[in-house]
Amino acid sequence: MSESAPGAEPRLVRVGVAEYEVATGDVVLSTSGLGSCLGIALHDRSAGVGGLLHAMLPAAAEGREAHTPAKYVDTGVADLLSTMVATGAEPGRLRAKLVGGSRMLDFSDEAGRIGDRNAEAAEAALSETDVAVVARDVGGSHGRSVRLDVSSGDLHVRTVTDGESVI
Amino acid sequence: MLVDIHSLGVFSRLAKQGSKQAAGSLSRMTGVDVHVDVTNISLLSRRDLSDAFGDEEYVGVEIGFVGGLQGETVLAFERDSSARLLELLMPGHGGATDPAMARSGVKEVGNIMTSGFIDGWANHLGVSIDITPPTYIERSGSELLDVQASEADDQVFLFESRLTTPERDLDFHIYMSPEYSALTELMAAHRRDDDAIPVDKLSVFNEMMKRGAEGAATHVTSMTGIETTVDVSRLSFVPIADAPDYLDDGSHAGVVFGIEGLPSGYLLILFDEPSAVNVAEALLPMETEESGLGELERSAIKELGNIMTSGFIDGWANVLGTSIDHTPPQFVHDMGSAIMSPVIARLGQRQNYAFMIDSTIETAENRFSCDIYALPDERELVRALEALGPESGTRVGTDADEVV
Repeated sequence: MSESAPGAEPRLVRVGVAEYEVATGDVVLSTSGLGSCLGIALHDRSAGVGGLLHAMLPAAAEGREAHTPAKYVDTGVADLLSTMVATGAEPGRLRAKLVGGSRMLDFSDEAGRIGDRNAEAAEAALSETDVAVVARDVGGSHGRSVRLDVSSGDLHVRTVTDGESVI
Repeated sequence: MLVDIHSLGVFSRLAKQGSKQAAGSLSRMTGVDVHVDVTNISLLSRRDLSDAFGDEEYVGVEIGFVGGLQGETVLAFERDSSARLLELLMPGHGGATDPAMARSGVKEVGNIMTSGFIDGWANHLGVSIDITPPTYIERSGSELLDVQASEADDQVFLFESRLTTPERDLDFHIYMSPEYSALTELMAAHRRDDDAIPVDKLSVFNEMMKRGAEGAATHVTSMTGIETTVDVSRLSFVPIADAPDYLDDGSHAGVVFGIEGLPSGYLLILFDEPSAVNVAEALLPMETEESGLGELERSAIKELGNIMTSGFIDGWANVLGTSIDHTPPQFVHDMGSAIMSPVIARLGQRQNYAFMIDSTIETAENRFSCDIYALPDERELVRALEALGPESGTRVGTDADEVV
């Protein structure tokens, strides 16, 4: 968990692939290289708690161990949620934003839909826990990078062709 | 000598945990977020090890370890970033201006980080590892690691972690090179038989990559009229989630294709944006009005990518002595790390680690460069290497029958 002293420049914390981070205060969580991978940002405005997950795949294969839970949307969302609650967030106040899940390459097989399946898995996992998805920038065929401003909940999305937007 | 994917995974995880501990210590000391970007294990020759760090000047700390594991660890900063680090550690003291204080600051950082790194190994392996007092070093890249190997061709394992911070000028590396036989004994103790790899044959994979890249480079030269050289970097074993960090977020253009057969896997042939612009300029008969990569440039690179793919496949097939099926190359123009994302997702369905090898096609005067990344399915790579006769390995010799 990261926190930052008020008044200073926001502290920038990187979230790698198959990782998540939770922070409070004046912190910016960033992750890059979202192609078919999915970025899931959760935010509790009242508590000032934000979290960002960079998941690769929708779900761990049955019977396979998941010693890297953040690799998968289902186990990653569960871990992210419980860490956020432990940090002071209330499940009922959490809002989710989804970014990524694009179809960068088309090898015309089931695996080619990984991006779509990631987004579907996130919707399902969040709906099960009654977390509302309030914004989405998913699909398409381009990559994205995101920065979550933990103090405001703003999610900045950057692409190579369209520059930056805020959702 | 045989090692297996399982034990490589265990060692990679230990290195990652050690690096995270080290990064955590440094974050607390400096107040700057330190992120473990890449952790990899490479197998390379003593000669390649000398070349691996280029001509950069480094400062850092060398710490030896003895006991259950023997070798040395070097925590290295590029010279420019060490001044910035010291400023963070000792604000107001102008760290770098006082050489004695600078040295003690670097030694302190090195000591704390390295202990965290080594402790993780000792705990997991259930062995006792003692570390020697830190020595402050200022060395050029070629002398950074003084590995005790008698011959230039002797193989060494290199563990490398790249630690980055939001400040672009403050990145550094932890290198660890355990003594070869001590490490391989430990690996053997952690071995599972079902996926053992004859390590000596891994060099065949390097050879495939080299010949493939040369095949691709020949076509680049014939289409652009610009002479090229091929540089094959080392074969690394990486957590699959780290693979995108080998590419930055900058825009890249090129092609991605899948290889079918033994081993199957993915190939990425990518030009960074400035290179893509320059190579397109060399391909197109006249200057276009658009700056950057317009439609014409994109289509020229797509065409070049298709031709480089077939050159690559021919070179790769020559080493294996079989024909290779591949998917049609797909043109990509996007941020580098995002291009890697669907590739690791596909491989990641069955594996947590990946063998990765990259190769660079370069030109004189840096007119452009092109990076080629190969990521095979790990189990199929093991089977493909097993299927090769002993004569295919360039360093097999008497080791072929040795069971460690």
